Order: sequence, then structure tokens, then C-alpha cells
Amino acid sequence: MFLKMFFKEMKDSFRDRRTLLLTVVLPLIMMTALVFYYESLLSDDEQTYNLAVEKGTSEEILSIFSTENFNFVETDDPEFAIEEGEAHTGILFDDQFTEKVETHQQATVKVISGDSFSQNASNANAQVMAALQQYEQAIVNERLTNENIDQQLMTPFQIEQEEITDDNAGMALLGTLIPLILVLAIGIGASPSASDLFAGEKEKKTMEALLMTPVKRSTMIMSKWLTISAIGSITGIVTLIVVALEIQFMTENLKDAVASTENIGLIIGIVAGITIIYATFLASILMVTSIMAKTIKESQSYSTPVMMLGMFPIMILTSVGTSELEFHHFVIPILNIFSSLKELLVGVIDWEHIFITVGSNLIAMIIIFIIGRIMFLKDKWVMN
Amino acid sequence: MIEINEVTKRFQDKKKYVTALKHVSFTVEEGEVVGLLGENGAGKTTLLRAIATLLHPTDGTIKVAGYDTVKQPNDIKKKIGVLFGGETGLYDRLTARENLEYFASLYNLSKHETKVRIDELTKMFGMRDYLDRKVDGFSKGMRQKLAISRTLIHEPDIILFDEPTTGLDITAANVFRQLVHQLKQQGKTIIFSSHIMEEVQMLCDSVAMIHKGELIYHGNIEKLYEEENNEDLNYIFMSKLVRGGSDYVS
Repeated sequence: MFLKMFFKEMKDSFRDRRTLLLTVVLPLIMMTALVFYYESLLSDDEQTYNLAVEKGTSEEILSIFSTENFNFVETDDPEFAIEEGEAHTGILFDDQFTEKVETHQQATVKVISGDSFSQNASNANAQVMAALQQYEQAIVNERLTNENIDQQLMTPFQIEQEEITDDNAGMALLGTLIPLILVLAIGIGASPSASDLFAGEKEKKTMEALLMTPVKRSTMIMSKWLTISAIGSITGIVTLIVVALEIQFMTENLKDAVASTENIGLIIGIVAGITIIYATFLASILMVTSIMAKTIKESQSYSTPVMMLGMFPIMILTSVGTSELEFHHFVIPILNIFSSLKELLVGVIDWEHIFITVGSNLIAMIIIFIIGRIMFLKDKWVMN
Repeated sequence: MIEINEVTKRFQDKKKYVTALKHVSFTVEEGEVVGLLGENGAGKTTLLRAIATLLHPTDGTIKVAGYDTVKQPNDIKKKIGVLFGGETGLYDRLTARENLEYFASLYNLSKHETKVRIDELTKMFGMRDYLDRKVDGFSKGMRQKLAISRTLIHEPDIILFDEPTTGLDITAANVFRQLVHQLKQQGKTIIFSSHIMEEVQMLCDSVAMIHKGELIYHGNIEKLYEEENNEDLNYIFMSKLVRGGSDYVS
């Protein structure tokens, strides 16, 4: 009986265009956009920036920036050119800059920063500063040599930097945003079925027809919950498959990043498992919100804040490194999905963290399911 | 067949209690067709829901085919078919056949029994042309026929209809009346609520009148005509409400 009901619910759900759209098409679009965005972030293609300089600035001075990727915008007023969006950043040299440098007088250079909210402006500014520092160091070295002074006098110690974490920027990037997309996709995919299977059945009065059959209410609620879980899981797995295929066939940098990660097959398997566990947990919450509602619209009003919960963990975890993740990050449902996936996608397989995540989600899911079952056994919640 | 004994039903609406049924008692014999009459909000649907095991009486008992509605609901559900008015309770994305097959499976009918039953009902209601079409595009009449078929899929002995012809066009309403006639000939026990007095006069052996949750009359319809010295059920109903002090009539 349970399976008959489950298969009917699945058939009914997948005949709903909304379910199809939200379980397959939406993840496809979201993940495609995400994959290409990340690929562009990791791409070696260097961005060229527009640098505003005064008209008549000599070639010799401009050669300071020859190692950087600049297009020079010659103008009477560099500030105006930046304000008009013609240049990312600007620079003004002393009238007799070269002569002053050659005669050991102090020359001045004015760097005009562009829009502080623009990533391009800030990158251009950093490159201008780097080029000027390099030029300054070259002049200092030349002067020391002319004075027969050892250049090491000016560098009493050397700084060596070493990162102990794996330098896999691609996977780290995916580890930040894949959980967000996955959590949202599962919520968006499972929500229409959840609303339809309880509130929708009350609204259309099919619930009364169902209650008039000799089928036990616990069988009904189990089959409906399993349907919501299955649709959520399918959405999550489709999302993962889309990412995997796109990375494999449509990217280079991300493909290399994935290929250089150890145990990638095992990691994908664990991520799929966690996706299914999360889908069952979310199905319980969406089931309760749908039982509470009398209409589909009311159910959607209740489920929207639940899905918004998926936005918070990313705010908490963005500034937390994988080595800083603590016990509470893996105990709190939803947050632990983000924490575990963040860890897994940088190649760390910590079984203790995985078991805590799975266990905590299962316990929360069982408690919420029991609440839903108690509600479903009461006439007040099953009949409008 | 159906024994309603001192049934009271109270609902809690926020902090107030609303009494929908007050000490209602009557019996329906096997093969009897009973018309349930009453104003809107009189308690007809509550009574039908209580008989159908969907609501538990606050006080009193209801026995259907010897089974208690509270203690043995599943035994009753196998023997009863219910159609609540206005709403057809069908799955729009499934075809008519899929709807019938699904409900047949919930009543544990075998594949063969289901096929035979669907053939019978399709013939009875002339649904052959749209049996394999999705319910989504059905007219109200087609939906009602399918909903009645779904109610009868497991051949129940007792059938409850709550305002079954509400919103139906004349043809569909006539099809329903013919059906009740057929079911009556098959010996089925039927209770249906209605606002249409002609329908009740035409189809019922007896009537039960409910006013503000109280049973104000139950008995044979012919006896009622004799007692009231009148054969206009509409007039009799209205005069009983006046005697009962209906707010609506006053």
C-alpha cells in the first residue's frame, strides 16, 4: 500500500510542470552560471585596465608600467576621465619628474583612485602601486651601486611566505558556494510537492477522499514524506551531476582543480549522501509547514522563511577557514551541511565531522517527522 | 444499518465552543434512502462526516453496519462510500482511469476486480470517451460523474452524498438522480443532504430535518405528508422551521 501511494505521488508530482522546472531546469541554469563564473575567476587571462595619464607624459615615464596590463588614456583631466568611467585609475607626475629623480631631488607622483566599490578599480590601483614601488626600488638600487654601497644594507632580512593549506583555489571557491546553491536548489525543488501533498490535498478535498479509504494515516504520511524527500534528493543529485558534467567537459581550470584533489570519487559519494540526508531533513520541515496550512498559498508563505534559513550559514562560514571549523559547526542542522561540504570540497575527509553531520540531521529529521505525524493524526490539521 | 444515538459534536473556535450537533438520534434501515434537510450551517455536513468516521462525536455513538465509528473506523470505511458536495476530490494531473485505479488500489481491489468495476462505471456514466484524458480539462459534470464513480469503485453498501447536485447542470443532475434510483434498486443504503426539495421528494424513503444542530423531524416521507396534510415538502420544511423559530425564516 505504501509503495502504491508513493509511486502515485511521484507520478502526480512529476506531471506538475512546476516540479519538473524546479527539479531539473533551475539547477541546470543556476549551476551553469556558477561554474562559468568560477572558471572565469580562475582563468589566467589577465584583465587589462585603463590608466588615465596627463597628455604629454613622456614615453620614458610610461615605461614604468610596461610590465603591467594597462591601456593609457591620455587626457587633460585624469580625474574627470575616472569620474566619466573612461579609466579605472589615474596618475599625475611632477612637471619635471625625470629631471628631479636624476638630480636626487624629491619628486612627487599623485595616484588617483577610482570607484572604491569597483573590483577592477581596486586591482588597477594595486598594480599601479606595485609598478611604482618596483621603479622606486630600482632607483634606490642604482643610487646605492653608484655610491658603492652593498644593496643588502637596505634589506636586513628576507621574508619567506609559506601556506600550509593546499593551494587549491578552485576547490576552495566551489566549497564556498556549492553548498548554498545545493541547499537552495533542494528547497526550491521539494517545496512545490510539499505544498501540494498536504495543503494542496486539503484545498482540493482529495485529502477527505483519501481519509475515507481504509489506508492508515501513518502510511499516508510516510508515502508523502518519502515523495518530498525523493524529489528533494533528485534535485540535489541532478545539481551535482550538472556541476560534474560541466566541470568535466566545459572548463579547464576547475577540471584541473578537481583532478588534483585526492579521493575525489569518495568525496563526490559523501557529498551525494549528505545531499540525500539534507533532503530528508528538509522534507520533514516542509511537510510540517504544509500540514499547518489550509491552502497551497499559505503553505508557500510558511515554507519561504524555511528556505531563507539556507542563506544564513554562508554568512557565518565565509570568513571561517576549514581548520577553524569546530564541533558546533557540525552539530547545528543546515549550518553543518555547509561546514561539511566546505571541508570535503577542499579535499578534507573527516569521518567524525561527517558522522556528526549525518547524525544531527537524522535526529532533527526524526523529531520533526514525529511532530508532523502527531499533527496529521489530528482532524484539526487534516481537514479544513 | 446506521444507528445514531444521542450524538453531540462541539468544536472549539479559538476560546469559544460551538455546538454543531445536539443529541441527534435516528436510525437508517438497510436499503433505505434518507434525505437530510437543513439550512446552511444546520449541522448536515458535520453529521455526514461523523457517520463517515472523519469526525469523532463529542458525546453519543454512531454505529454503521454494527461497527462503532470511533472504535472500528477501518471496518466502516470498507463498507462506505462518501462524496462531499461542491468539491470532487480528484487528482487533476491523473487521467480518469488513473484516478479510479488509484482509489481501487487503496481499497485493495485486485487488478481484475478494478478493470471490471471501471468498465461497469464507465458504461453507467458514459465516460468511455474521456476515460484516458487528464481530469484537468474536465467540465463540472464530467468531474462529478468521475467523483461518483470513485465513491462507488469498491461497491460500498452504504453511500453518503453531501449536496451532490450543487453546481451541476440539469443533465448532470439528472444523471445523478438516475444513479441514486439505480443504487436504491440494488439495495444500497443512502443518505444525502440537499437543498432541492423536489430531488428529496423524488428519491427518498424518509427525511431527517436538522435545525441548529437539533433533529427536528425524522420519519417516512409519506407519513410526513399525512401528518402535515400536505405533499409540498418545501412548505412542510419551512413551516417546521417557523415552528422551530428559525432566524432565517423570521
